[in-house]
Amino acid sequence: MSALLEIEDLNVTFNTRYGAVTALDSVSLHVNAGETLGVVGESGCGKSITALSVMGLIPSPPGRIAGGSIRLNGEELTTASPARMRAIRGAEAAMIFQEPMTSLNPVFTVGAQIAEAIMLHQKVGADQAMRAAVALLDRVGIPSPDARARDYPHQLSGGMRQRVMIAMAVSCRPKMLIADEPTTALDVTVQAQIFDLLNEIQRDFGAAIVLITHDMGAIAEMADRVAVMYAGRVIEGATADDVLDHPQHPYARGLIDCIPNIAKGDAALREIPGVVPPLHLLGAGCAFAARCAHANNRCHTEKPKLAAHGHHPAACHAVQEGRI
Amino acid sequence: MTASFFIRRIAYGLLLMLGVVILNFLLIRLAPGDPAVVIAGEMGGIDAQMLAAIRADYGLDKPLPTQLWIYLSNVVQGNLGESFFFNQPVATLISARIGPTILLVLTAQVLSIVIGMFLGVIAARKPNGPLSGFVSVFATIGYAVPVFWTGIMLVILFASVFPIFPVEGMRSVRLRDAGPIAQFFDVAHHLVLPAFTLAIIYLAQYARLSRASMMDVLGSDYIRTARAKGATEQSVLFKHALRNAALPILTVAGLQFGNLISGALLVETVFNWPGMGRLAFDSILRRNYPTVLGVLFFAAAMVVAANILTDLSYRWADPRLRGRE
Repeated sequence: MSALLEIEDLNVTFNTRYGAVTALDSVSLHVNAGETLGVVGESGCGKSITALSVMGLIPSPPGRIAGGSIRLNGEELTTASPARMRAIRGAEAAMIFQEPMTSLNPVFTVGAQIAEAIMLHQKVGADQAMRAAVALLDRVGIPSPDARARDYPHQLSGGMRQRVMIAMAVSCRPKMLIADEPTTALDVTVQAQIFDLLNEIQRDFGAAIVLITHDMGAIAEMADRVAVMYAGRVIEGATADDVLDHPQHPYARGLIDCIPNIAKGDAALREIPGVVPPLHLLGAGCAFAARCAHANNRCHTEKPKLAAHGHHPAACHAVQEGRI
Repeated sequence: MTASFFIRRIAYGLLLMLGVVILNFLLIRLAPGDPAVVIAGEMGGIDAQMLAAIRADYGLDKPLPTQLWIYLSNVVQGNLGESFFFNQPVATLISARIGPTILLVLTAQVLSIVIGMFLGVIAARKPNGPLSGFVSVFATIGYAVPVFWTGIMLVILFASVFPIFPVEGMRSVRLRDAGPIAQFFDVAHHLVLPAFTLAIIYLAQYARLSRASMMDVLGSDYIRTARAKGATEQSVLFKHALRNAALPILTVAGLQFGNLISGALLVETVFNWPGMGRLAFDSILRRNYPTVLGVLFFAAAMVVAANILTDLSYRWADPRLRGRE
């Protein structure tokens, strides 16, 4: 059986004042029906761009899918017509965004915004859509959903708004749900509630989830499999347990080392030295080489490929050469 | 809640009107020129005794605070005084002319908002496209050109080159006995040039403003959400974005209403539109204080009413403002 979502050698470029920069470089991922894929990496590594590519929402210009393929249920999306993409968005693939505070339209009631999503894809009247919206608000754990449906976004808290976003995203029972850092803007107790809700939704609706995050705790709790991204490339991919317990790539090891561990008695928070290089300054070698303790000449001149070696696939010369 | 807000706004409006009346009254007395001398001039030569008689007749010999008090108590009772020149009550003079002025001002306001916003939205879709460039150039020119010049150019163009629109007056004499529908189209036909002349500055301004406002809104997260749920481009632009982008335009349109009225006075003079503009112009030249004050009173009332309407429409358009002061 083929995967629900297959991304193969996806290249996305952006025209900037530095010329065309490569935001995604040969990204390949797949998501099976009903599973959760965690995509982790620092800000600017291409996680969100990957998600937006699937939704056909890359701002264009300046962005452009320069090559590769995205298949949802076997249907090629990179060449789909705008009308077909509109039919897919919200119905077959839906997305939850990072900023619940600004992701809802301030001048419409939340009920109307959910009902709109329903009416865009199902032949139902306004009354019926509104009743469905209220039922969804109830389903995502919003108390007195009848009254809340008539509220405007500014009358709800951040956590409530994210629940509204989730209700909107699942309103047409999509098979594919992309959650782009759904809890970044929320406080910790609310984060846990939202993850619980996503787990429930997945169980009830049978949706596959792509969870984009830089929170390894969220990965541990949610993900079946993990893809680690760095500077527009997937550098490591395996089951969540494998990546968490046996990270291969030095960057993945760094990320895992950064998880604070009270049991070990860590005094200070650890970090990976340096920052992600600006995309227009990427050279011929491994993008992580400048920050890597194991880098040698080859790392600075030749891009490592994502290849199975040892425990699971990682794009690293040092791993593949057995140096670490 | 909205009712109490409405009542409070009307109370503020009345207070503002009182201030405007007092200020107008005092300002006009500070201006050089003596109405008694002008009236005497109309009568054709005069001596000092008659001048004093005229002053006594019109109450101009009383101290200024007394004059102000008499004027205010008359205004409160709906009496705006008598015109020296026409020998008619000012209220009668104005009520015969305010209808055409309101028609002209409202038409220009609607034209400028609707066309301006439409151009702005279209331009914002492709900020680097040719239409966007056209809107910018058109807006700069439209904003820079004085309204009386635009009016005169349009008169020349449509009087001699393409005589398709009437350039003078509000009705055709030969249609004076026609049915209401024919009269309606006749007035609308006469309205085209003056309304466009008056609208063009504001149209240009609203086009620029809505272009900027739309570009700002189109980059926001909730527009991405609308696209992510599969909304059509048309719905994204005209439903999700425009309602938000219209908020600053509402504000500016409300503030500009006063300028629109003063612009209307000029346009009426150019197109011989039978409104308050001509009356104001002539009254100022004749030092006809009661009429000038009356025109200013009605202009101020229109601005105050427009501001109240702006406040209400703002609260309708932006739910975040409801239930706040």
